[in-house]
Amino acid sequence: MALAIEIENLRVRYKTRTGPVDAVSDLSLAVKEGEVLGFLGPNGAGKTTTMHVLLGFIEATGGTARILGTDVRRSIARRRIGYLPENPQMYRFLTGYELLYMAGRIFGMEGSRLRRRIGELLEMMGLTAAARRRISTYSRGMLQRIGLVEALIHDPDLLLLDEPTGGMDPLGRVEIREQIRKLKAAGKTIFFSSHELSEVERVCDRIVIIHNGRKLVEGRLEDLIPEGTGLEEYFLRTIGREQ
Amino acid sequence: MISTVTRIFAVAWAVWLETIRRKDFYVLLILLGSLLFALLSVDIFGLGSRIRYIMDTGLLLAWLFSLVLVVNLVGRQLPREEETGTIFPLLAKPITRGEVIIGKWLGGWSAAAAATLVFYGVVWGVVRAWSGSIDAVVLIQGWMLHVAALAMIAALTLAISTRMTYGAAATTAFILVAAAYTIVPRVPELVINERGMTLNALLVLYYLLPHFEVFDLRQRIVHDWETMDWGSFGEALLYGLLVTLVFLVLAWIAYRHKRFSRRRIV
Repeated sequence: MALAIEIENLRVRYKTRTGPVDAVSDLSLAVKEGEVLGFLGPNGAGKTTTMHVLLGFIEATGGTARILGTDVRRSIARRRIGYLPENPQMYRFLTGYELLYMAGRIFGMEGSRLRRRIGELLEMMGLTAAARRRISTYSRGMLQRIGLVEALIHDPDLLLLDEPTGGMDPLGRVEIREQIRKLKAAGKTIFFSSHELSEVERVCDRIVIIHNGRKLVEGRLEDLIPEGTGLEEYFLRTIGREQ
Repeated sequence: MISTVTRIFAVAWAVWLETIRRKDFYVLLILLGSLLFALLSVDIFGLGSRIRYIMDTGLLLAWLFSLVLVVNLVGRQLPREEETGTIFPLLAKPITRGEVIIGKWLGGWSAAAAATLVFYGVVWGVVRAWSGSIDAVVLIQGWMLHVAALAMIAALTLAISTRMTYGAAATTAFILVAAAYTIVPRVPELVINERGMTLNALLVLYYLLPHFEVFDLRQRIVHDWETMDWGSFGEALLYGLLVTLVFLVLAWIAYRHKRFSRRRIV
């Protein structure tokens, strides 16, 4: 099976007043097409920095990163990616429909194909009635859902989800989890960062745990977690050992 | 090439919608109309010169208001994207930072140009309503050069805003535009008596800052002077285009490798 994400010896170094700090150091990992990978770690572990390198927001200090065979520094690498950031922020002066229309245009979609796709996705996420309302009037859950619709507008092969259920109520979390399951069933590759370990346990095939920018563990859930324990216990023990 | 243009227009379209939905333009338009009607109701210089005075004031206000509009509109684009975090979903799409820069500039400049056309329309309407006359060709030349000046100001503001907050970028842009407009045209008179460092500093200012005075045809419109010769008009537009390109390239250089920090997200 082809690789959707290939990271080799990745290093991101920030300059700070007290000297250089490695946010990510010597990180290597690979995600196969169609796989759902849970990317875990405590706050400040380097998860979002790694995602930002994959999306081309920041350039790595060292190492390489490729997405669907293309170097992440090239903007065409992002043609087949959908991205949902932690706390999705949108242009609040636009309506939901206008936001999706703008996103579709940037992905090169147009005409009836774009309108049909927007309609389908809004229907799927239960946002049809709110489509013509300004985003400034949306609730937290609606923002998360319109963010997911924006990420899916061009039917991407790879989804990067950064804390997709962060700050949501239980109902909203279940809804997003269901959508992730459907995407997994549709054969999408999902790179999924979350602190909600029960969510990760339910939807991921494999996990990677990083801490202080370094990879600690990588493997299938059933291979890593001993019988009778859960991911949360395993995660705490792994991080605790390091500290 | 077509997809590049599509992406640039998508970004510019969002800037247009922002302009339409914010109150800035409408407030400035109401202010312009109110001030002109207030001036019409008081006879300061007598009937003969009143319309000319109204025309002069109206065009001055059109310049000031378009400057306020373009600097505020363009100056907030990149800093606000970064502060609110909207830059992340935008750059996660197959759009280059150069396309973002051009889209933001195009949207801000074209929206300010359209607003300026409305301001000129108001001035023309008031003058015509009180039986005054304006040479339409000179007025069109004046508007086109005004819009060319706005293109330079928009590009300058955008370049500054790549490395500053919205407030700092807008203040710096206003100071630079004011300095260029008031000091630069006077440099040839000032250099005659200067020597050494002062002379060098004045010459640097003269060649570095844009010559906005070339783009101001207010006197020609107000005093019914003849049409600007088309050769000089074309040269002025070309100069405006070159200066705009220089500022856009500087903006791209400053922005292309910029690291965005989530710590700044509010």
